[in-house]
Amino acid sequence: MTRELINRFLIYLLIAVCTLWLIIPFTMAVLWSLVDPAEPWTADKLMPPVVSFYRWHNMWVNSSLKEALLNSYTLAPSAAILTLLLAIPTSFALGRISFPGREVAKVIALLPLVVPPFVTAIFFTSLLFSLGLHAWRFGAILFAHSVLFLPYAIRIMTVSFEQVRQDHIDAARDLSASTIARWRVAYLPALKPGILASLLIVFIQSIEEFAIAFIVGSPNFVTIPTLLFGSLGQDFVRPNAAVLSLILVVPNVILMLFLEKLLRSANPSMSSGKGMA
Amino acid sequence: MGTVQVNGLQMRFGDFLALPDISVSVDEGEFVTLLGPSGCGKTTLLKLISGFLKPTAGTIHIAGKEVTHVPPETRDTAMCFQSYALFPHLSVRENLEFGLRQKRIAAAERDQRLDRVAEQLKLGPQLEKLPNQLSGGQQQRVALGRALIMRPTVILFDEPLSNLDAKLRDTVRMEIRRIQKDYNLTAIYVTHDQSEALALSDRVMIMNGGRIEQIASPEELYWSPRTSFVADFIGGANVLDAEVIGGKGEDHWVLSTPLGELVAASGTEPKSKKIKICWRPEVVQPDGNGPNRIETQISERSFQGSFTDLFFTAAEQTFRVQLPEPTVRSGENLAFSIRPQDIVMLESMQ
Repeated sequence: MTRELINRFLIYLLIAVCTLWLIIPFTMAVLWSLVDPAEPWTADKLMPPVVSFYRWHNMWVNSSLKEALLNSYTLAPSAAILTLLLAIPTSFALGRISFPGREVAKVIALLPLVVPPFVTAIFFTSLLFSLGLHAWRFGAILFAHSVLFLPYAIRIMTVSFEQVRQDHIDAARDLSASTIARWRVAYLPALKPGILASLLIVFIQSIEEFAIAFIVGSPNFVTIPTLLFGSLGQDFVRPNAAVLSLILVVPNVILMLFLEKLLRSANPSMSSGKGMA
Repeated sequence: MGTVQVNGLQMRFGDFLALPDISVSVDEGEFVTLLGPSGCGKTTLLKLISGFLKPTAGTIHIAGKEVTHVPPETRDTAMCFQSYALFPHLSVRENLEFGLRQKRIAAAERDQRLDRVAEQLKLGPQLEKLPNQLSGGQQQRVALGRALIMRPTVILFDEPLSNLDAKLRDTVRMEIRRIQKDYNLTAIYVTHDQSEALALSDRVMIMNGGRIEQIASPEELYWSPRTSFVADFIGGANVLDAEVIGGKGEDHWVLSTPLGELVAASGTEPKSKKIKICWRPEVVQPDGNGPNRIETQISERSFQGSFTDLFFTAAEQTFRVQLPEPTVRSGENLAFSIRPQDIVMLESMQ
């Protein structure tokens, strides 16, 4: 009985801590974004003295926010789709074809992730410049993001391909399914969660990526992070940064929740026969 | 020529020769079981017949047409998988219809075939459910239905009952046999369970190490095994070495064995002077007054229900005798006899 009580107490405590962990920074960001320039929010006051949407309006009208939003939200989905397309053949090979050195190849595919992103960015951009790709800034950043975030997509899709059941493929063939029908009935249901997860991860990575977008893009091509880091620079205005960071984070959270729901509806372990517990 | 005709089939995986040379013919409406221990090549042979593997030599004909290199999607076979391999995201109806849709069968005929299969397999109430909402036995029936609905020339079973519990296995087994007879299907069935093979089949093909040991009716396999492998694999016969020391009248052979001198008269001739012989544990005559009398000390007794297993050792070999309600206890002596026609002469000794 007491044990149960302690358990329940600990669970509530954990939920409370997690909630605070999420809520405090968000609340701070929201509050800061609402500070009116008429009177600054100084350390001696618990709440901002004057609250208004001035900063939001101001950022919307006077900064390159609209352009940055447009750029970021075209770039990120394009990078997500391109990365997925690039990852699928490799993942298929790593997940479904047995060849000597497969396990080593899987590790090598992940290796680029251990290099600090800024280091990669500097050398990758010099590569882009020597290729002459920088003339088309959008294309250059798209290419760079797709290559850089490929390891995530490859890793996720490899696991997904490993989960496709050979007996489902065989059954489809045995029942006269064409190559396309075979993909639809045996591969796609098992790959769906992986596809969604790769798209989301690359999307979020791309939308938050600063280094390459800055080196290749600035000053003509703004994305949300370059704009954000710009306003963290020499003329640092905390309320403006709060507006930008909220704009950056809110769509991601929504996407995350959306994906969580999708993933739940496409359960790969849902199956029959031998594989079932 | 049989409905399924396999000639000189060879399968090599790298250095490993899985099937050296298999020839077998299965007639229309016949139920043939491939039986053997794991790794004997029975599943490889089934995969060759279904088209999932390409043989390194030999030919396969189905219904008179050569299909050796025809892929499974265009081969007129349907497979019932061990894992059932039902598509988890499709309903029972969609699973059953899948093959017909691939073959672009008209909707009217599709519905008609679906109704028939659903009725026959009692799947009507389950049609709109997903596979994971069904019990193991129901999933098994969907897998069977999905193969049946294709009306294939040959239906192939890959250990379809191995995931069911013992009680269900018996009912599904009878159902498979009934449907196979109703449709007059040609069926090839792979299993490692000898009781399944004996109960279901018209003929059983015993495989060992990629070779066919014997193809025969269940009764013939049981009572007239041709090799010691078959004798031991089916029902666990007592196999022993013997030397032919003389003939005695027509068909009677006198043998010198670790159990003493025995007379065999099972209607075959010994293949050489030194051979292997076998007798079934249940053929012993408890009176001990007949020919081939053996008196021995029982080392172990194990009650099995309708009969009791008694074990004794002779010449460092353990033998098994089955008797209903024996009075003998372990440590006591038992005398019994074996009729000459129950001693089967097997292959020559190597």
